[in-house]
This record gives sequence, structure tokens and C-alpha cells, in this order.
Amino acid sequence: MIELKNIEKYYASKGIKHYVLRHVSTTIKQGEFVSIMGPSGAGKSTLLNILGMLEEPTYGSYEFMQEDVTNLSERKRIELYRNHIGFVFQAYHLIDEMTVYENIEAPLLYKKIGSSERASRIANLLDKFNIVAKKDLFPNQLSGGQQQLVGIARALAAQPSIILADEPTGNLQSAQAEEIMQLFQKLNREEGITIIQVTHSEKNAEYGSRILHIADGVIKEDIPVLTK
Amino acid sequence: MFKLNLKIALRNLWKNKGITLINVGGLAIALASFILVMMYFTYETSFDKSNPNYKNIYVVGRIYPEFKTNYTAPPLHKALKQNFPEVENAGITKSGFFELTLKNGKNTVFAKNFMQADYNAAKILNIKPMGGLQKPSGDVERLSYLNVESMKTLFPDKKDNKPEMVGMGASNSGVRSKFDGSIISDPHSNITFDGISIGNEIGQGEDYGMNNYTTYIKVKPGTDVDNLQQKITKLYRAELLKGESDLKTIEEIKAISTFLDPLANLHLKPFAGNDAPYKILVALSVLGILILVIACINFTNLSIAQATKRAKEVGVKKVMGAFRAQLTTQFLVEIFIQCTVATTLALIVAELLLPVFNNLFQVQLSIWRIDNNLFWQLPMVLCLITLAAGIYPAVVLSGFKPALVLKGNFSTSKQSSWLRNGLLIFQFSIAVIFIIGLLIINSQLKYMRSQDLGFSANQVVYIKNLTLFNNPSKFGSLNFESVRDKVLKIPGIKSATVASDIPNGAENGTNSYTTNGLKANVDFVDVEFDYFETLDVKLKEGRFFSTAFKTDTANSVVINESAVAKYGLKDPIGKTIKGCNIDYKIVGVAKDFKAQGFETAVQPTIYAIKNPCGNYKTQIMLKIEENKMADALTALKALWPQINPKDGEDFRYEFLDELYGRLFKKQEQLQSVFFAAALLTIFIAILGLFAFAKYITNGRIKEIAVRKILGASDIQIFKLINSSFFIMVMIANIISWPIAYVLTKKWLDTFAYRIDLPIIPFIISALATILLTVITVSVQARKAVKANPVNALKCE
Repeated sequence: MIELKNIEKYYASKGIKHYVLRHVSTTIKQGEFVSIMGPSGAGKSTLLNILGMLEEPTYGSYEFMQEDVTNLSERKRIELYRNHIGFVFQAYHLIDEMTVYENIEAPLLYKKIGSSERASRIANLLDKFNIVAKKDLFPNQLSGGQQQLVGIARALAAQPSIILADEPTGNLQSAQAEEIMQLFQKLNREEGITIIQVTHSEKNAEYGSRILHIADGVIKEDIPVLTK
Repeated sequence: MFKLNLKIALRNLWKNKGITLINVGGLAIALASFILVMMYFTYETSFDKSNPNYKNIYVVGRIYPEFKTNYTAPPLHKALKQNFPEVENAGITKSGFFELTLKNGKNTVFAKNFMQADYNAAKILNIKPMGGLQKPSGDVERLSYLNVESMKTLFPDKKDNKPEMVGMGASNSGVRSKFDGSIISDPHSNITFDGISIGNEIGQGEDYGMNNYTTYIKVKPGTDVDNLQQKITKLYRAELLKGESDLKTIEEIKAISTFLDPLANLHLKPFAGNDAPYKILVALSVLGILILVIACINFTNLSIAQATKRAKEVGVKKVMGAFRAQLTTQFLVEIFIQCTVATTLALIVAELLLPVFNNLFQVQLSIWRIDNNLFWQLPMVLCLITLAAGIYPAVVLSGFKPALVLKGNFSTSKQSSWLRNGLLIFQFSIAVIFIIGLLIINSQLKYMRSQDLGFSANQVVYIKNLTLFNNPSKFGSLNFESVRDKVLKIPGIKSATVASDIPNGAENGTNSYTTNGLKANVDFVDVEFDYFETLDVKLKEGRFFSTAFKTDTANSVVINESAVAKYGLKDPIGKTIKGCNIDYKIVGVAKDFKAQGFETAVQPTIYAIKNPCGNYKTQIMLKIEENKMADALTALKALWPQINPKDGEDFRYEFLDELYGRLFKKQEQLQSVFFAAALLTIFIAILGLFAFAKYITNGRIKEIAVRKILGASDIQIFKLINSSFFIMVMIANIISWPIAYVLTKKWLDTFAYRIDLPIIPFIISALATILLTVITVSVQARKAVKANPVNALKCE
């Protein structure tokens, strides 16, 4: 599904190149649950941003679903966002002025999905995540864990084939974090959604099927997780 | 989708109520002033536009080496029509030169301007009495029409449009005249009148010397006007030269030319007249546009200052699959909604301000008219300001990079661009100019009101009168003595006099007088005994007129100080001054007094009781004790028919101080305009500052937090944030001081009597703007200062 070849990313400052990523090459197949780990400043988030096409690599090639996406037009990229990629953020990034229901609905509107289909999909998600009672509340009326549930529901609404999550539990208490990770695992195993997450926690990484260890912009280790 | 975006927009606006209010309110106020200016502009530029031949009508005027005039003589229009085929029609009008009293039983109206026109002029000028314009029959018949309001006053029960007989002048005069109907005099025209009398031909038998008429011509479409103008000049000279043999006169005639002034220019920039109204209109329009543009820019700035709050929304929507264009549209729609609200508010504000505006500019504008251009102009302006105010924020906001804004700690750029600084300085410069202007106008007006005029208009009553008191030199004159004797019997009346002119700013007549070997044109005023006493004019030397001296009614004159100076008289009393074939003897010198207001210097003036070359002495003035004023006026009204039998029926009076006060009207109007402009520009500058300060503090929240942790006190942080604004406002002041200096100096130079340009206004404007700046900025800074630094530094 994803094929990175020799990805490099650096910032030039006063003629000196500051490398964030060097020689990153890896392949992620459909249905994998990959955790990217590493110390602060290792380049984890940059890698995830490149995977999400939010940043462009300075060098190297990136194929998403057998298509070179390093130089993609806005139109093409947005098509991918609408149909294939869901984002989950550490700070949830729900839109404050929209209710829970509207937040989940938003991506469907961009995808131009009919209103009845929309209603049923949202009802389904609300039900699945057990937040039906909260649908008319605004984000600031929810706890962090609940907000992240809405965030994930929103990411799933468009039925993406891959979810990119940047420290999805970074702002959560451990009990809530565990709940979210179990949800990810369930989505990965039962619905076959590819998940790539950035995390600091060894424990959270264990929920996935594979761990990429990054340090100083280089992949140091690429180890599968033994399923329990 | 649209519904959701709308919902977000409304929730967003509601959440930031304060900002929204300031943003929309500011725009609304600027728009309101723009609407008023636009309406005024349309009104002022469309005088007589309802005339179907608007573009082909010209006034024919004359140019002399020393002056230009619209007054021409009756034969000219006939010559034009006969000689030039391109002149389709030509006609003349003559305006009324005195107030006409019209009566029907007890109902009386005063027609200030009773105009005469020939049938052709009436046709050219589209003068339409009720029931249509009719051609008078024969050479003698005149068709007279009275304006609707006066007709209503004279005949309150009249329903039809039949002719009526109306008494002219005092009822004992026995003069009655037929009025053939009513007419509506359009105030939105250059040709206004209280009544009009139309004949087939007017001014019969008058020659080229009688330049009392205005000539209008209608030319064929496509006529070469410059060429026609030259041809008319040639014709006019030829007509004047007929039978002329005096070489000097012939030379003089050759220097005369004519001009054609289009009807369209007559109101704003007449060729023979001043174009001050045009300049004022242009200045006002520029100001209106400027205010709107600045308000739009402020709107933009404030929207961008709010951007941080929307950045996340943009980022999230982008990763959900929104095109940038979609987001741009969303923001534009949001701004369009705000602009629509602002426009609606502006209409309300304009409607509320309209009475004040109408009063100030002496016009009758109203918004709710079917034919109001506003109805198509306003939607256009709305779209324009939406684009002007909205494009930039919409593009900036929709251009946020998700990777940046979603990282969690996003702030809008810190560095302030030169453009933004420049704009702020510009706004404050304009505000400062208006503040200084306002303060200087205030001081000049205060000076004018408090300055010693050299005479006292207080408790002087001016009585309108048509009886001549030129005793005995003009036809039909009466002796004023009997009037004075009767008037002085009324308790409270201290003195009574009559003169050819009253000190209300009007220009006096001039004549040439010779003394001390010098011949010069000087002003003259024909007076009666007690003239100087009534007006409380001070004596410099000699004496004023007195009944004790028999010669005073024959050849005594009083001259003023300026006249003494003009003729260079060393010891004026007893000297002889020649004029009008009389050897006058100077009996006294009066101190100069400002009869013509503050704009012109006191003219050298000669006051005489007897002046065969003078003007009609009709202007009666009485000095009345203040506490007996009401009683005296009642008594006067009752007794006036006996006191002044020839024109006593309609006792009408005005207070001289009010008449004199009207001289200040133009300046008071200017003062009001400056007051409004100063308020508006200051308001808008503060608005801009508010947006800017918000933007800056938003961008420096982290910096402030860090500084606080490092131990900066609140005061130090306030200072830090204020300092850059302080510098900008100072620069604005320094820029506008010389501009304001030059402009106000120019304005003050139009006064002969004026204040020295004071320094205080410059200091006040600086202090005021600095104070306002510090307050506005500190309100913004306070939030950043009071905030817990932990919050600002928490994220990553």
C-alpha cells in the first residue's frame, strides 16, 4: 500500500543542511498496524506528515497505492483525503463551533454523500462508539477521551483505508489511552483498516503489528510485534 | 454543506461578539457616511437633469477684462436665434429684485423671488405650471403662476386650478393682478422661484445697456460649442459697435467676449462664479471614499487578527478533503454576511443622520425614493466591499498549511509589515489633521463671536420696508422725521434711523470721491441721523450727525478710519471731499466697524445723509431697550400702519444680531463637517489600531509569557507593547502637523480678521491621539499580561 524509497527531508539554513529524515525506505502493506517510535526530534511526526502528504520530502519517492504521490496536484491529493486517508491528532482538533454530530458529518459533506446515507453512517458510528447521547454537545463539553473518540469517529466516517494517528493518546490518561488503543486494534483486526501511529509509549506500540524505531532521522529497527 | 458553513459562521461570530460588533459596526458607520456622501453627490450633480434637453442648454454670459457675468441684455437672444441656425431656441429670464407682498383678504405671502421669463425660456427650462405651459396671447398678456405653497396660503380652500385675483403690495395700493394657476418650483433646479410671470416677450424696447437678464439657449445636438461661442462673441461685438464712434469705447468693446456655460455646470462650477461648491463636493467625495477604504482595510486586518482561532478549522477541513477554493468561498460568504449586516445597519444609521445632514447642507435628501440611484448603487458597493475587505483574509485563511496549524501551537506571524504600519500611520495622520482643523476652526469662530465688532447689533431691530426715505432727492420719498417722532414715542425705543445698507455682511455701493488731491473709489452708505448712535459706533474725532447742524442734511459726511488712511488725511475734520458734484465737508471720523464680517477688511467708507448718487434708503433700524423689547415690538406692530402709511400693513422685522450671525453660517457648517470628520476618522483609526494591537499581542503571547517568567513586571510589559505604537502615532503627528499647518493657514488667510495660528491644537491632537492609543493598546495588552504564562507555554 505504501512504499517509501530513500526519503530524505532537510531544512537548509545558512547553507547548512539540517537533516530530519535520512534514507528512509520501507514498505507498509494493507492491513498492517504500524507504530513509529523514537525519542523527541527523531523525525517521527515529519515522517507521518510525509505519509499524510502534509509535507513533501526533499528527496526520494513515495508511492501510495501504486501511485507516485511526491508531486501530486491539490485535486488528486484531496481525492485521496476524501476516500482513503483518515487523520487522528494528539490535540483531537475537533472544530469548536460544531457539535459532535456536525464534526462527524463534515468529511461526508466534502465527499458529497447523500443525506440519508450520511445520517445512517453517523448513527452507526455514534452507536458503535457509544456517544449517541453526546451528539448535540460541543467539543469543549466533552472529556479528552470522549473528544478523541469523536476524532476517530470523524476519521472513520469517510470509510478510509488508512488511518494516520499522531500520538493519539498523548493527551489522555492511561485508562482512556488503553480504550483508544483497543479500539484501534479492533478496527485493524476486524475491519482491516491500515493504521500508522506515532507514539512514545512502548505499551501502546505493542497493540500494533510492527514497530519502526527512528532515531536522528534514520530507521534503526523494524521489528514485528508478536501477537499474543 | 452550505447550511453547516453558515451555522459555523454564525456561531463563530456570536462567540466573538465584541469583535464582530466592532468589525461590523465600524464598517456600518463608514458605509453610512459613504451612503450620505454618495446621495449628496448624486443630488448635487443632477441639478436640472430632469430637463429633457439637459445636455443642449447653455447660458450665454459676458467676459469683461475685470469680471465675468451671466447677466445679458434682452436683444442678444433674438440676435442669436436670427443669426445661428444651430441655436434651436433662445429665451431670457429676469429674477425678482425685491420682496413682493401678495394678498388675498387677510392671507398674505411674501414672494422673495418673483421671476419673469419669456415663453421660449420657459420652454427651454422646462417650466411647467400645473395644467401645462400655455402660450400667452399677443405681446402684452402675461401668464402668472404662484408656487403651490403660497397659493395654498392665499387660498386655503382652493381645489381647482382656475385663475385668481391677488392683491399686490399694501391693500390700500389697490393694485390687483391675475394669477393663472399654481406651479411647482423644483428645488433641485438652478431655476427656482416663488412665482413666475411668463410673457411672449419680455424686456421689449430695452437695449444692449440693460444687462439685467439671463439668456438661455438650446442648441441642436452635436453643435460645436467652442465655435458657436466665438461666433457669438463676434456677433455681440458687432451689435455693440453699431453706431459707436468714440475710439476709447470701441477699444473697450473689442476687449469684451462671450461664453457659453452648460446648464450642467451651472450649479457646481458656474463659469461666472466660484466653483467652491464643486471643490467641496470633490473633497467630500474623496473623504467618503477614503473612509470606506480605510474601514475595509480595518475589517481585513481585524479578520486576519482573528485568524488564529480559525486556523485549526482550516487545517482539519483540509485533511478531511476540502479544496482551498471551497474554504475561500466559505470565508467570503461569511464576510459577505457581515457586510450585508453592515450595509443594513448603515442604511439605518444614514436614515437617522439624514435630518442632521439635510439641515447642515441645506438639502432635502431622502433614502426611500423609487428613483433613488441608491437601489442599484448599494448592492454594487456591497459586492465591492465584500471583495475588498474579504479577498485577502479569505485567501490568507484558506492558505494555512495543515501540517503547521495542526501541530498545536500556531500563531500568526509576528513581524508587522510596513504596509500595516503605514496604514496605521496614515489613518492617524488623517485623524490628526481633522482634529487640528476642528480645534483651529473652533478658536477662529470663538474669536469671531467674542471679538469687538466696533458696533453693537444687540437689541437692534431691523424692519423690512419698501418706502423710500431719501428725502428729498428720490422720487416718492418720504421724510424720515415723522417716522422717527412717532416711533420714539413708544416706550423702550431709544433711537431710530434709516440707511441704504445695514451691517449684515452685504456689500455697500461704491462711488468715486476726491480729496487731498486723490481720486478713489470708496464705499458709501447713505444714512439718517442717529445711525451711529443706533449701532453704537465709536467716534474717533469730530462729531457724528446732529439735528443741531442744519448743514448736515446738505453736505456733511462722516468717514471712517480706513478712509482717512486711504486718502492719507492728516487732519481730516473740516476738510472737503468731492463726490457726486457736491463738496462735502468732513465733520467726523468714525472708528472702523466690521459691517461686512471677518472675511473682508473694513472698507474705506463715507457716510452721508444727502447723496443724490446713492441708493434707496429703506432699511429701518431701531435700538430698543432689552427689557421692553416684547412690549415695544407689539406696540410697533399695532402702530406700524400709521407710522409708515406707505408700507405699514405688513410689519416684518428681524434682529440685527441674528442677521449678522448668519455670516458665520458657512464657517459653522465647516465646523460641523470637521467635527463629524474628526470623530469618524478618529473612530476608524482607533478601530484599525484595535485590530492591529490584537494581532500583535496574539503573536507575542508566548514572548510575553516568557518575559513574565523571566521576571518582567506588568508595567514593563505594557511599556514594551505600547512603545512601537507610540512611535507610530508620533510619526503620524509629525507627518500631519505641517499639512495641517499649511491647510489651516490657508483657511485662516481667507479672513481679514483672524487669530494667530495657535500651537495648542497641535499639542492637544498629539496628546489626544497618544492617550487613545495607549488606552486601546493597553486593553489588548492587558489580556496577554493577565494570562497565566503556563497556558501560553503549555503546548509542546
